[in-house]
Amino acid sequence: MSPIIQGMLTIVIGVGGCIGYFWASNMVLDKVIFPAQSKNPGRNINRANMVRPWLFLFPAMFALGLYLVYPVIGSFWRSLFNRSGDEFIALGNYSALAQDPTFRTAFFNNFMWMLVVPAASTFFGLLVAQLTDRLKWGNIAKSLIFMPMAISFVGASLIWRFMYANNPDIGLINAIRFAMGATDALDVLQLQFWNNFFLMVILIWIQTGFAMVILSGALRGIPEETIEAAIIDGANPFQIFFKIKVPQIMGTIVVVWTTITILVLKVFDIVYTMTGGNFGTEILPSYMMSYMFRDDGRATAVAFVIMIIVLPVMIWNIRQARAEMK
Amino acid sequence: MDNIAGTKSSLNWAVQISVILLVIIWLIPTVGLLVSSFRDRDAITNSGWWLSALPVEQNFAVKAEGEPVSRDGVNVLEGNVFGEGSGTVSKFGGRRAAPDAFTPGEVADLSRDRSLVVQENGDYVYTSPTEISRAPTVYFASAQPAEFSMVNYETIMGSANMDRAFINTLTVTIPATIIPILIAAFAAYALAWMEFPGRGLLIAMVVGLLVVPLQLALVPMLKLHNAMGVGQSFLGIWMAHTGFGLPLAIYLLRNYMVGLPRDIIESAKVDGATDFQVFTKIVLPLSFPALASFAIFQFLWTWNDLLVAKVFLPSNSESWVMTVKIADDLLGSRGGDWGILAAAAFISIAVPLIVFFTMQRYLVRGLLAGSVK
Amino acid sequence: MTNQFFTGVAALALMSTTALADGHLPFAPGEGAFSWDSYTAFADANDFAGQTVEITGPWTGNEKEKFDAVVAYFTEATGAAVNYSGSDSFEQDIVVSTRAGSAPNLAVFPQPGLAADLASQGLLTPLPEGTDDWIASNFAAGPSWVDLGTYADADGNDQTFGMFYRVDLKSLVWYSPDAFDEAGYEIPETMEDLKALTDEIVAAGETPWCIGLGSGAATGWPATDWVEDMMLRTNSPADYDAWVANEMKFDDPKVIAAIEEFGAFARNDDYVDGGASAVANTDFRDSPTGLFAIPPKCYMHRQASFIPAFFPEGTVVGEDADFFYFPAYAEKDLGKPVLGAGTLFAITSPSDATTAFLEFLKLPIAHEAWMAQGGFLTAHGGVNLETYIDDSLRAQGAILQNATTFRFDASDLMPAEIGAGAFWTGMVDYTTGKSAADVAKAIQERWDALN
Repeated sequence: MSPIIQGMLTIVIGVGGCIGYFWASNMVLDKVIFPAQSKNPGRNINRANMVRPWLFLFPAMFALGLYLVYPVIGSFWRSLFNRSGDEFIALGNYSALAQDPTFRTAFFNNFMWMLVVPAASTFFGLLVAQLTDRLKWGNIAKSLIFMPMAISFVGASLIWRFMYANNPDIGLINAIRFAMGATDALDVLQLQFWNNFFLMVILIWIQTGFAMVILSGALRGIPEETIEAAIIDGANPFQIFFKIKVPQIMGTIVVVWTTITILVLKVFDIVYTMTGGNFGTEILPSYMMSYMFRDDGRATAVAFVIMIIVLPVMIWNIRQARAEMK
Repeated sequence: MDNIAGTKSSLNWAVQISVILLVIIWLIPTVGLLVSSFRDRDAITNSGWWLSALPVEQNFAVKAEGEPVSRDGVNVLEGNVFGEGSGTVSKFGGRRAAPDAFTPGEVADLSRDRSLVVQENGDYVYTSPTEISRAPTVYFASAQPAEFSMVNYETIMGSANMDRAFINTLTVTIPATIIPILIAAFAAYALAWMEFPGRGLLIAMVVGLLVVPLQLALVPMLKLHNAMGVGQSFLGIWMAHTGFGLPLAIYLLRNYMVGLPRDIIESAKVDGATDFQVFTKIVLPLSFPALASFAIFQFLWTWNDLLVAKVFLPSNSESWVMTVKIADDLLGSRGGDWGILAAAAFISIAVPLIVFFTMQRYLVRGLLAGSVK
Repeated sequence: MTNQFFTGVAALALMSTTALADGHLPFAPGEGAFSWDSYTAFADANDFAGQTVEITGPWTGNEKEKFDAVVAYFTEATGAAVNYSGSDSFEQDIVVSTRAGSAPNLAVFPQPGLAADLASQGLLTPLPEGTDDWIASNFAAGPSWVDLGTYADADGNDQTFGMFYRVDLKSLVWYSPDAFDEAGYEIPETMEDLKALTDEIVAAGETPWCIGLGSGAATGWPATDWVEDMMLRTNSPADYDAWVANEMKFDDPKVIAAIEEFGAFARNDDYVDGGASAVANTDFRDSPTGLFAIPPKCYMHRQASFIPAFFPEGTVVGEDADFFYFPAYAEKDLGKPVLGAGTLFAITSPSDATTAFLEFLKLPIAHEAWMAQGGFLTAHGGVNLETYIDDSLRAQGAILQNATTFRFDASDLMPAEIGAGAFWTGMVDYTTGKSAADVAKAIQERWDALN
């Protein structure tokens, strides 16, 4: 069967199946198991409403369980074993991590990434979303800023080599420095400590597009009346932005911030292709990748350290969710 | 209506200028990539892309081939450095280390009493008191017009099975975009608007699963697919992308849905609508912007994905998607062809950008008009 | 462009590409200097029509095309189809697919270290009985190739898993004959001469070396080759072997001295193009282009036999570029040590046709068919050297076969965490200013932590 037909068929079957499942399971629940027209309609409706969330959730929970939870549990178990996987060493991998100076560098660097990248991406994303909101050519501006999102990480790393390269004939930064009278090339990726920021710029450049799309959607979701009321009250544009718009979309800002924070804990490609973790630029995901498929015990241990780091973000999100539900 | 920009035109200008500045800053790297995609690897490593549009003075080496003739007791070799073509010599030299030591017309005295004259039009005369056994090399500098070509694009588009790879990519991405959205939308609604015990925990779990590195799941899942008889196939990769894309889909959609006005949903429920009806008739249409933006991202990831495609699809060339085709076939071993890489990046950008433009129409205001949160 | 192609590449290679497009064999059986007799005998004895051999390996693009052409002879002889797929991330793919149970029949490993890892997990099948004896008696320096392919299986018993096919020669220095000729430089015969030449070039106001260690995630590996070559030129082969096995510690004074020998070149601002600070991050693929710049950015580049693939388009090896053997110290009397590396075939999922394919790899034709396409060296003693595509490759083949000491790339033999990890990053740290002793100590600590 040609893959096109197969693909179309899958879309039809997949989409139809999904809709069919949700529709049919609801029908069965309402009409067969707990029919409203029966001796005890109130009790039946209540019972049906207790079951229904799980009908809605079931496909997602099943897929998540299979594709993510199950491997995570297996991996945790694996992280308690040694390199070859045949000897139980309890927390041996974790204590080995704690003693590894490269891991400590990676941890510290990742912490900086988590502070800088989500903040900067969200800031620029919000800025662009707001500034282009009423612009006639706003959509074009947005598309241009969105473009880096569509470039693969490898392509992105290539283009930033053209910015950072040591050779002034290849790297734009050194070309500008030479044009301004410098005589020796500077490899910005070898500048201890600061090189981390040069790498972060790449991810900020990419992720601003993500923040912009989501925040721009949220800004447009703010009801016109709210803003018109504020204008009638004599608020200036800055007041409208900071006092009305930002609080209204706070929930979305949290979402964007969280998503990018988590991305920072997952993206290894940039560091991997730009410096290979050298010159003190290692971060946790790239550190993990250097062990992945070699010493799985160590690699999975790093994965769990990363998951522990996310705990505060998770807690923050739950509290935010609780607040919204009230 | 255009209240912010309309009331203050100076502010309007400030906005326009800042947006232009931001766009330019964001574009510089991309333009570099675009320009590089029209150049070959040698040009990319020799001069900056920002200079590529200007004619550049380049140094050349040409072997002075031909029959030396004996004239007045010296051996003479004549010819033109441009061969059949034409050009202008701005400097010349007889040694690789000093290719631009002399101006055209000047007589360059070389080692061993040899001499060389190159004219502006490229004619050269090389003389030697002794026999010329090995063809000497003439070095010269000449301004070369900017050279751009579509060769990189032709290499990619013209390579065998590229059409197949393109179709395969679409076959992977479209179901892998639509199915997770659908599943996630139901789950997101349940997590946003239905009361049941354990909801907070589930939300936390979704956030936690966002951070799970894909690599952890590759081996166990491929094992499972093999055990189920799915093996390496399109079905397998759709399932894998669905599983891996769900946490973000649920997370984004739930957060959007929870922001929908409570009174609309509650009044519908009071009117006797079931959750299923509320979801399909009210929440789904209102969530269109969120669905559209997630669709853009999921499409992007599956489109640019290399890892999942390599693990869950068979490795024969009939099932290659574009990323695999480019990485494993076109870039070649040890992948150093920057021009191809740049062109590939631009080819793969095209479709996602079209998707972005199409989807952007749905990211409109006004869906909630008439309701106040 | 076509013109350059015609003049640049020997007609044989051209023939192969055009012939391949038609789905035929690039070199007609029975013609040329190829060893057809053993091939015909093999064809008569084997018939596996309808079977398929799945192979994955690191060769992609151009190299895949060449290997496909070799494979065509197997298909022609036995009727079995071969499906070779190359992957840029082979090391990761093969681990995933063998563990998940969707392994191909054969895998082509770029380093023995990874193969040994998989063998110890029981994911490889030993080669058929007697293959080790065959390699020992038919390869130049045969027993050492057997040792390189012998690893402990899941139960800890040593078995031969790997058969080498395609060798890279590492101890080469590339240069531009034109540049050398015009400046009057002589090819150095000894390390002392090489160092004198280096100083002579500096005295002439030029830069002698191009060194680039950049390679993305693998940044640093070219430096490990330098250090290994220096180990072989300052210490006995026995010391080298002890170092590989970590019986001689990484922070042994001998190893530190070898690292510093490398540093004498790479950490001298006058010696390297762009200064010492450019070494660590210059891409190894871009580094050799300095040889061909006008004026030259450097005069010498030490790199393995594969590097001409990254020379500027149209560069003809033998005319525009050539190599000399990275010489040994005259005073140390350690002979002419040669450093090399190679890819090996191992069975990941056995079948009859797979066994036949390994038999096919024993035939000279399996090597000659690639030798004639270029970019291929072999340790197989039975091949006809005339089938090498050009003199340059033939000369490299001769270096390989005449080496008094041949040693395999140490970093490929060390555990992956060291040879493809700590050693790489350590070398980057060293070129960017850390002391050799500190770097060596850190690498040894990583090694100690492994067990």
